[in-house]
Amino acid sequence: MDKMKSNMTLDTSGKCCPMPMVETNNAIRKLNSGEVLEIVATDPGTKMDIPSWCDRTGNQLLFSSENDNVFRYFIAKS
Amino acid sequence: MKTMAIVVRDDGYDKLLTPLAFAYFASAEGVQVDMLFVNWAVLALTEDGARALKVDGVHADKDAWVRARVAAAGLPNDINELLKALKQTGNVNFYACSLAANIFGVDKENIIPEATDIVGAAWFVNDKAAKADHSQYF
Repeated sequence: MDKMKSNMTLDTSGKCCPMPMVETNNAIRKLNSGEVLEIVATDPGTKMDIPSWCDRTGNQLLFSSENDNVFRYFIAKS
Repeated sequence: MKTMAIVVRDDGYDKLLTPLAFAYFASAEGVQVDMLFVNWAVLALTEDGARALKVDGVHADKDAWVRARVAAAGLPNDINELLKALKQTGNVNFYACSLAANIFGVDKENIIPEATDIVGAAWFVNDKAAKADHSQYF
């Protein structure tokens, strides 16, 4: 899954709530339906915020991982 | 959630961060956020007032540290700049309570352009807070 391809990568490393979600909302608007956004985050709040946001917005969380306190999410735009 | 109403009373720099952060992530997601600034917090809707905000109370000696941590978290650490960032989402209205504006000296001359209007609290409570999907009071 580490080789999953994305159309855009958003690196929010070091930033904390609300900025990862603010920037995720801004980034997803730049993509077309079906395209994939990769998000890199260090805020542990994203572990709940990102899946919850996907449920609300209809975007699909394809994959998530945690490695050495770095979180990665791949989201397909609805 | 499509609409959110927030009433802000406390004017400590640190105490403003939470309602503004909540408004930021909600508005970024497309939620219409209406914020009423009452009591001393109304001064945050003026440039001079926003500039004068400090961490108060038992944490007053941590003002510079808090601002540095806010900046490190990716947020504008100046309240006026943060209000501008929220306004740029296109989904936030800032209202000054007319009573607070009268008491604390906020008027059409010194209120920031990002503020929508000076309004009565009764209108806000009935037409915004009571009709919102979610209301918060700080």
